Amino acid sequence: MMLDWLLPALLAAALGLLFAGALRRIRLWRRGRPEPVAFLAGLAAMPRRYLVDLHHVVERDRYMSNTHVATAGGFVLSMLLIVPVHLFGLESRWLNLALLLATLLMFCGAVFVFLRRRHPPARLSRGPWMRLPKNLLVFSASFFVLTLLTSGLLPEGFGGWVLSILLAAGVALGLAEMLFGMGWGGPMKHAFAGALHLAFHRRPERFGGGRSTGLKPVDLEAPTLGVAKPEDFTWNQLLGFDACVQCGRCEAVCPAYAAGQPLNPKKLIQDMVVGLSGGSDARYAGSPYPGVEPGNASGAPHQPIVDGLLSAETLWSCTTCRACVEECPMMIEHVDAIVDMRRFLTLEKGETPNKGAEVLDNLIATDNPGGFAPDSRMNWAADLNLPLMAEVGRAEVLFWVSDGCFDMRSQRILRAFVKILKAAQVDFAVLGNEECDSGDLARRLGDDATFQSLARNNIAVLNRYRFERIVTTDPHAFHVLKNEYGDFYPEGKGGDYEVLHHSTFINGLVRDGRLQLKAHKGGTVTYHDPCYLGRYNGEYEAPRALLNALNIELSEMERSGYRSRCCGGGGGAPITDVPGERRIADMRVEDARAVQADLIAVACQQCTAMLEGVVEPRPQIKDLAELVADALVEEVHEPRKAAMSQEQP
Amino acid sequence: MSDVIRRDPRTERILRNRLHPLHESLAGGPVRGPTGLLRRNPHAVGFIGPNGLKRIDRSSTGPAPSGRDLRRSATTHSEEPALPLHRVEQPDFYVAAVLDMAGGRLTSHDRDILGQAQQLARSGGGQGAVVAIVLGEAREAGFDTAGADRLIQVTHCDGQALDDYCPERKLAVLQAVEDQLGPRFWLFPDSVHGGADLGARLAVRLGERPAVHAWQVTETETLCRGGSGRIDIRRHTPRVLLLAEECALPVDDSRHQALPIQLDEYPDVRVCIHDQGLVPVDPSQIPLAEAEFILSAGNGVRDWDQFHEVATALGATEGASRVAVDDGFMPRFRQIGATGTWVTARVYVAVGISGAVQHLQGIGRCEKVVAINLDDGCDMVRRADLGAIGDSSEILAELLALAREHRGGKDTDATVPETLEVA
Amino acid sequence: MPVETSLNIAVLVSVGQHPVSGRARRADQDARAVELGLTLAGRSLSLVHVGDAGEPALRQYLGMGLRTMTVLQEAPEADAASSLLQYFATHPADIVLAGVQAERGEASGLLPYLLAERLGWPLVPRIAQIRAIENGRAEVLQALPRGQRRALTVPLPFIATVDSAAPGARQTAFGPGQRGLFDIQRGLAQADVARAEWVEAQARPRPKRLNVVKAKSAAERFKAATAKPQGQGGQVMKQESSREKAQAIFDLLVAEGVIRQ
Repeated sequence: MMLDWLLPALLAAALGLLFAGALRRIRLWRRGRPEPVAFLAGLAAMPRRYLVDLHHVVERDRYMSNTHVATAGGFVLSMLLIVPVHLFGLESRWLNLALLLATLLMFCGAVFVFLRRRHPPARLSRGPWMRLPKNLLVFSASFFVLTLLTSGLLPEGFGGWVLSILLAAGVALGLAEMLFGMGWGGPMKHAFAGALHLAFHRRPERFGGGRSTGLKPVDLEAPTLGVAKPEDFTWNQLLGFDACVQCGRCEAVCPAYAAGQPLNPKKLIQDMVVGLSGGSDARYAGSPYPGVEPGNASGAPHQPIVDGLLSAETLWSCTTCRACVEECPMMIEHVDAIVDMRRFLTLEKGETPNKGAEVLDNLIATDNPGGFAPDSRMNWAADLNLPLMAEVGRAEVLFWVSDGCFDMRSQRILRAFVKILKAAQVDFAVLGNEECDSGDLARRLGDDATFQSLARNNIAVLNRYRFERIVTTDPHAFHVLKNEYGDFYPEGKGGDYEVLHHSTFINGLVRDGRLQLKAHKGGTVTYHDPCYLGRYNGEYEAPRALLNALNIELSEMERSGYRSRCCGGGGGAPITDVPGERRIADMRVEDARAVQADLIAVACQQCTAMLEGVVEPRPQIKDLAELVADALVEEVHEPRKAAMSQEQP
Repeated sequence: MSDVIRRDPRTERILRNRLHPLHESLAGGPVRGPTGLLRRNPHAVGFIGPNGLKRIDRSSTGPAPSGRDLRRSATTHSEEPALPLHRVEQPDFYVAAVLDMAGGRLTSHDRDILGQAQQLARSGGGQGAVVAIVLGEAREAGFDTAGADRLIQVTHCDGQALDDYCPERKLAVLQAVEDQLGPRFWLFPDSVHGGADLGARLAVRLGERPAVHAWQVTETETLCRGGSGRIDIRRHTPRVLLLAEECALPVDDSRHQALPIQLDEYPDVRVCIHDQGLVPVDPSQIPLAEAEFILSAGNGVRDWDQFHEVATALGATEGASRVAVDDGFMPRFRQIGATGTWVTARVYVAVGISGAVQHLQGIGRCEKVVAINLDDGCDMVRRADLGAIGDSSEILAELLALAREHRGGKDTDATVPETLEVA
Repeated sequence: MPVETSLNIAVLVSVGQHPVSGRARRADQDARAVELGLTLAGRSLSLVHVGDAGEPALRQYLGMGLRTMTVLQEAPEADAASSLLQYFATHPADIVLAGVQAERGEASGLLPYLLAERLGWPLVPRIAQIRAIENGRAEVLQALPRGQRRALTVPLPFIATVDSAAPGARQTAFGPGQRGLFDIQRGLAQADVARAEWVEAQARPRPKRLNVVKAKSAAERFKAATAKPQGQGGQVMKQESSREKAQAIFDLLVAEGVIRQ
């Protein structure tokens, strides 16, 4: 029978091609910069990462999750059985039975993939991805029938040569898609690259329920700073790009894409894939960057990315809100890649757009983005009589004021928070003029040099005083202090304190009964999760608990929690100011209007500024600190003294 | 002015009192005879009374003002009191003040320089004379009250008018002054109108080290403001001084002779820099931070074509609020406010801008703010010196018509002072 | 204007200071001069600094895209003019650009004048743009207050000072700035003796000139004492017709002199 010799030959050839293709792919990745990874530990952890962490993300779409389990599980199982059964001709009833079940499982999965692909949502890529479900069906069906034949469950000579030819064709087609395509850049590439990507992920801390969101520092002594060409990425970043399945979940959540700015995270990752393997984006079959005609981008590992693969505007559209990273089932790090490319533009080319250059100059010369006198940081609190660290030397809480001190709107938040601190008799102090900008803005704009110098200045100041925790009203400063300063502490010195956002801190005060709160009066309230508090630091609960303590029943927006839509204020986006069709802040206020909110509670002064920038009439915007300060029950003076005397011994 | 004779007892008293310090300036000086005795003109004694008869007032020894005089002094009094004349007949030295004369008139900076020059001329022994040096055409008549004892006015040098930018020729004139008068001090306004440029050129030519940004000058010591205005330098007063604005009080209580001086000859000039004239600048091209008249649009503007038309007709530089920029009606570089450009315009007209805090911060240094808005309670109207409440496109349409009328017939300007009071 | 590499353009750069914080930085006008030079001569532009090559702020000029910069190493009290004169004696230039005045120290703005006088070159102050260079003559635009411009022609070689109205300097990039090289030449300047006698002190605020009212009569004095200070809340026109409102606005514009005749 023809299949007896053809099948092993086809299988061997397909496996050989897969192997060759994989080697070639690996060599492409290896063109990236070296980065040490825990090789064996990574490989060992890979199945768990796949089964637990990745599926945790995929599971947000139940349909796809089950479909993928069936299809992928069936495929992996089938391949593991096909090799002994069909390549080496191992005769075993049980193996055959298992293979039959596996291909059946895969077939069922493939049917659901097929159904999904009949009317695919806009975020999904078409092109080769449209043929994948058919080939999955062909593969699983062919091997099912083939196994039926070889296992003798069907009578000898069943179907005759017609079936043989059909099966041969089906097997060839299926193997071509599944194995050849996997090694040579077909849709199935994601399985191979994805598995390795999970094993050698640049942020292994993300697996097992962890969180790793801080950007990695730039070596300022390097010959080029940032990423100019695809080969300037680290090898595991390149590997990560290859893992993309073009599911477009990132596209669906990206605020810049929704606003019509020329950014589409999926396209960006696909452009990087084009860059690492060389070629053009003519074969890309998903949504383009808004307002940019696809098909004109081309690149190669050694060619500049900007103005070859994409325009600088694409990179500057990103608000670094991490919604794409949060949604990505392959755990690809879009934001890291974007910031890496921004770093090149800023540090090597000096091309930070619009007000970027001015802001960076101000940060260098005055330690704040507005160019205000560095010794006027405490002007906002001239009447508040705040204890200065320089005078008291130690305090329980260090109140990190942040650059909000220069902005008249943010000052209201700061004053509200001071009122709360005083009402709860917290032992706190501020750094006053010794504080510098946290460096968040400089870093997101790609100027890691300025970020590092600001961070070192701040760390030197922090190391001078003794305190237990830092509390700040600015989630950006909070994130940077908590997650990104760790790389810059002089060896073994400092950093032994807790960093808290004011929502967490106030919530703690309320829980401990140190604040007496009235119920909030007013209409419907909704809460906007700041990206740098929520997605970056996982704090979704404390603000809600706090609002609950104010007797507010939240009317949650459709996109809240980890899916919260950015206000448009992060990542220096208001400074680089890439034009779009809509404003991100307008869309966010539209979200709030959809739930008939009269008030949007926020927990970030940048969000306050962005949302209040929306033309009225719109819901009122208030920071949590303001809501709490308004609801404080004014205590009589005697118990306050009593409380103090209690504390003192 | 009514013809009612008003007596000015104070002037009469001064005229009667020869020891009064102002007596000389009012009485025109005493006339002394050859023997040194005071002479009195008997015909000037007395005045014509209301009935046409001559009356002699025996109650005083001084010459009483005649009726006509009284009437004249009554009319002149409200205009300008006669200031005492400061005479320098034989100056011991000269203090040269080179004036900017921007627009052909003394600027306030020029007056400060002349005030400083007078201080220097009166200190340090001897009697100095202030020489005001005016290069180019001037339309100024008040050199005497501004403090110029002498006046050198040169309109042409080398057969060329000095009105254009010709620092080399002007320098030649100054050198001629140097040769002829050898002033003890050379004073220049440290200004962008040419004073600083000319002062530096002369200092270098004379080999002097000038004091620059000088703001407190005595005969021996000068206080100069250093770079970025962050330090003060105390130094010996040099010959050439580039003086900051408000370095000294302008002269305001004396008159000076302002006697013209003719220059003998000028040194040869090698002219390299040729003025090709002013380049017409489109107001819309002036950077916002520099513009002196800004018409700014916000969310309340509906008819953008009309807005641009008005800006062109008025010759204003266009600005915008953040919302107008976000909505794509104006380019980003037109945005005014804390997050856009901080402007210093003399007149800022806000059309349909309600006045967010950031925007008001950005116009903090504007002198006059006009708000056109529907809402009379908005912050911009509260900030404005003039608020027009109403539909912006109607008011803009009227403004456009006015601007066109104005351009059409300039003779109607006469009505302006009256309507000003309405404004 | 296309890049003209045959021209020898030198820019004198100094260490500036930030007006608010006083920190060392590239001086604003000098950086604009470098920008102007870069548009004229591209990367063949030469930068000259007199002072200490160890000053980190100098790297901000290199970060604008220049590989090297000449530093005439001098002590702080040296006279920069003599040092530069010697330099230009051996390194001829067609155009020398500089800022109008320094941002620290005396900031007299006299250095370009001294150079021009001693080299015998013309000096054009406060330029905003060099429009064309043809047949050994340059057409430059001089910046006047309030955005006005004047065209001047001047023969090469010349010195020009660059006004703050000139196009803003490009962003300085950290990487190239750090990698740029200094061509350090030992300077032979004389010491600036005159300056040694000066006393420098923190600037004290200048007294504001009071608006002295020279009242000639009791009535005027009374008026001056009781008059409302101006600008305390403006006039608001509500009921008047649009025509009247527009007229009021227009009159204000005319009174302020912003409507050009």
